[in-house]
Amino acid sequence: MALGRSRRNRTQFIPPKLQITSMMDMFTIILIFLLFSFSNDIQAIKIDKDIQLPKSSAQTDYSDTLRLVVSQDKLWLGDEIVDRIEDGKIIGLSQINVQDSNLYQKLCTYREKTLHGGKGEAKSNQILFLCDRRLSFRTINNVIKTASMAGFPNFQFGVLKQ
Amino acid sequence: MKNSLRSRKKVSEEIDLDMVPIMNMFLVLIPFLLMSASFFHLRAINTSVPVLAQGSSLQEEKSDIKLTVIVELEEKGIHLSAISDEVDSSVIDSFEEQVAVTDSDEYPMDALSTSLRRIKAQYPASDTLIIIPESNVIYDTIIRTMDVARSSDESELFPNVVLSGKVG
Repeated sequence: MALGRSRRNRTQFIPPKLQITSMMDMFTIILIFLLFSFSNDIQAIKIDKDIQLPKSSAQTDYSDTLRLVVSQDKLWLGDEIVDRIEDGKIIGLSQINVQDSNLYQKLCTYREKTLHGGKGEAKSNQILFLCDRRLSFRTINNVIKTASMAGFPNFQFGVLKQ
Repeated sequence: MKNSLRSRKKVSEEIDLDMVPIMNMFLVLIPFLLMSASFFHLRAINTSVPVLAQGSSLQEEKSDIKLTVIVELEEKGIHLSAISDEVDSSVIDSFEEQVAVTDSDEYPMDALSTSLRRIKAQYPASDTLIIIPESNVIYDTIIRTMDVARSSDESELFPNVVLSGKVG
């Protein structure tokens, strides 16, 4: 009898209800923001985390062209490492015999490929140049000169939006 | 009577939407989008290097006279000058200017902007500017000079910026 009363007195366990409405609101906002920022980009570019790009007030979008990336210790052409840089000097890039350098030869090969591939002159002779902001003009000039000699006189300097 | 009360109770009962599957979907979508999202917006500055060009023999009207402005970034400051085949050399010489770096080794971009605006006001058809940095000038300074050269106070100055090394 006593047992029956105590059972009756015991409060029944009710599983707690989670209030997820506010969380849903937050997730919806984040989702919309991410979807919008996703749609704004032309093409995402992956670059080395050590590269510090300069900031600029430029508003022009970059084109999907050949990428030439210069960090403090490496030189990339697209995703491929072409040369190493030591103390601002590009190893394997001589001022006298530019034609013998790895960069020049690779650029010439790319140019011939794109011309024969039918991508057109306008697109093929432009380079998206991404360079560390701490590098001196001495290093940059060597790369730019080599590229222009290989038939790429037009550059797009990649910068971060200010 | 009792029956009608029971049915009214049933109608007023709240319907709970099952949000858990939507939450699950969000939890999958958000990390995926966060991974692929880019938080640094990349922009581009169009430039070129000097190339050999054939000279034009066409006579242009005075309002179409173009000057090519030269900005030399030196260790001690900025040297500004201009070149043109159509303008008298005395006028060209009047544009020559040397602005020294500030005490904190900053390049005087405001002074450069003022000088460029003055040239643009006199020769509005001019659109080309050549930047000649010394070998130890860093890339960041070149980009800042390009920014000043292209536009000032939302007005376009010299949209064609050419980057060149020092000859000789």
